Amino acid sequence: MANVNWRTINVDALDPDSPANFDLSSLTPAVAPVATADVQALAGQIRQLMRGGDNEGALQGALENPPYGADDRGKEVHLAAVIEILQSIRQSDMSPILQRIYSAPGGSEALDVLMKYIYKGMAQSSTVSATRNITPQATGFSQIHSRGGGEGGGQAMSVLLSWHEKLVEIAGPGSIVRVMTDRRTV
Amino acid sequence: MSPPEVHHLFHHPIADHSFSADRQTLAVAKENNIELYQRAGGKFQLKDELTGHDKTVTGVDIAPNTGKIVTCSQDRNAYVWEPSPEGWKPTLVLLRINRAATCVRWAPSETKFAVGSGARLIPVCYFEEEDNWWVSKHLKKPIRSTITTVAWHPNSVLLAAGSTDGHARVFSSFIKGVDARPEPSAWGERLPFNTVCGEFLNNTAGWIHSVAFSPSGNALAFAAHDSSLTVVYPSAPEQPPRAVVSITTQLLPFMSIVWSGEDEIIAAGYNCEAYRLQGSEQGWQLSGSLESKGRPGMQAEREESAFNMFKQMDLKGKVTDDTKLKTVHQNTISTIRSFKEGGGTVSQISSTGVDGRVVIWTL
Repeated sequence: MANVNWRTINVDALDPDSPANFDLSSLTPAVAPVATADVQALAGQIRQLMRGGDNEGALQGALENPPYGADDRGKEVHLAAVIEILQSIRQSDMSPILQRIYSAPGGSEALDVLMKYIYKGMAQSSTVSATRNITPQATGFSQIHSRGGGEGGGQAMSVLLSWHEKLVEIAGPGSIVRVMTDRRTV
Repeated sequence: MSPPEVHHLFHHPIADHSFSADRQTLAVAKENNIELYQRAGGKFQLKDELTGHDKTVTGVDIAPNTGKIVTCSQDRNAYVWEPSPEGWKPTLVLLRINRAATCVRWAPSETKFAVGSGARLIPVCYFEEEDNWWVSKHLKKPIRSTITTVAWHPNSVLLAAGSTDGHARVFSSFIKGVDARPEPSAWGERLPFNTVCGEFLNNTAGWIHSVAFSPSGNALAFAAHDSSLTVVYPSAPEQPPRAVVSITTQLLPFMSIVWSGEDEIIAAGYNCEAYRLQGSEQGWQLSGSLESKGRPGMQAEREESAFNMFKQMDLKGKVTDDTKLKTVHQNTISTIRSFKEGGGTVSQISSTGVDGRVVIWTL
């Protein structure tokens, strides 16, 4: 008893009213669970549309059905599909497509989803390049590495950055704030 | 539309402000104190200072009829200040909270007030004649996080509260002996203390910055950190609401909202300007900013002499001074309140923000 370190006791666990003792899921919006197989089927349909040349339809389809309830694997699959579409759209087509999605019903919501995928894509492409050149100090400035070694990561980033620029022009900073606020992650 | 009346009081953030009923006295929360300004001609002059809190003051409210001032602070205390011949006399309120108080508002009846707190509860405070003491009763369930804002229904029984758990809730704060039995409304019929009359979550579950009842009390609006504004129209007690209209904006989040009529809301926040939103049960939209472009004192770029231009480039490395925002407020607006109203519509509002300015806008 004498050598209990009082500082390490989790006092929150002992308080019945503490937030540690209630179900945190009640704070988040309800999302329906999605099976990975369904996400894969959807990704397949999206690729089908892309092969048919309908990039805009593919993007719209992908943004209308974000798999909030899927597990990490399912979310990866959908992210890969979205990134693939983004890379296949030419720079000059970006703004008109975003404008059309925005003016459609529920467009603001769809663009918020796109913003989530852009940020997620940025996070992912930097981890890829960071693992590729393992350096003693992980400083977080990973674009420096990707410029030197990982050409693929750098190019993916530049596509995402130009999408980001075009998207903020249309959806405004409100869209960025919503991505940071939203508890439904992609 | 006349230009806004701007008073730059000091270079400190103003957490909250309140005007007296005659609009001649202005109370602002500045750091650990409350400063009282008196209107003299076209200006506000510092007249008095209420000292007593020993941490940042987070809320101040002047009761329109009795003139009593209630203040609350991060030191977990609230005081009710009453005028006396020797100056303002504070009375400590027994809040019984173990976290900071975040906001305070008098009920329209002025017999009680509600304090938001970080302790996941709302003390509803009323005066106990026998003990000559302000005591509180706690609204507790089902609050899961800090209360950031409270707003009263015109009947002084229903209380709306917004929280960092993303929920806007409507509670009954009925206290026997203090309140008259309220008329049944769409929110509820029987209203014992701590009845939850409504609990609303927006799509993203972003935390709530501001809540407000419409002038009739038959609709509730709340602004959240996801840059959205949601308006709820209740249908009947214990029934799902008739309509929940949510609009997402392209702007930064709103910090404070005021209904200027049954179909119009003024909202302001991190964008440093106030916006007008209009709508009804069928839908709401952003209809514009209160800032008038080309306002006097904000003239277009003057023609610079070549000498001046090179001088600026040499001194500052740039030609124009772009450190000033094009808006009246130069930083986040934290509170807006009704300044002049009549017949259910608000014709003037006052706003204060992080830049230490008080601005009175004509709608």
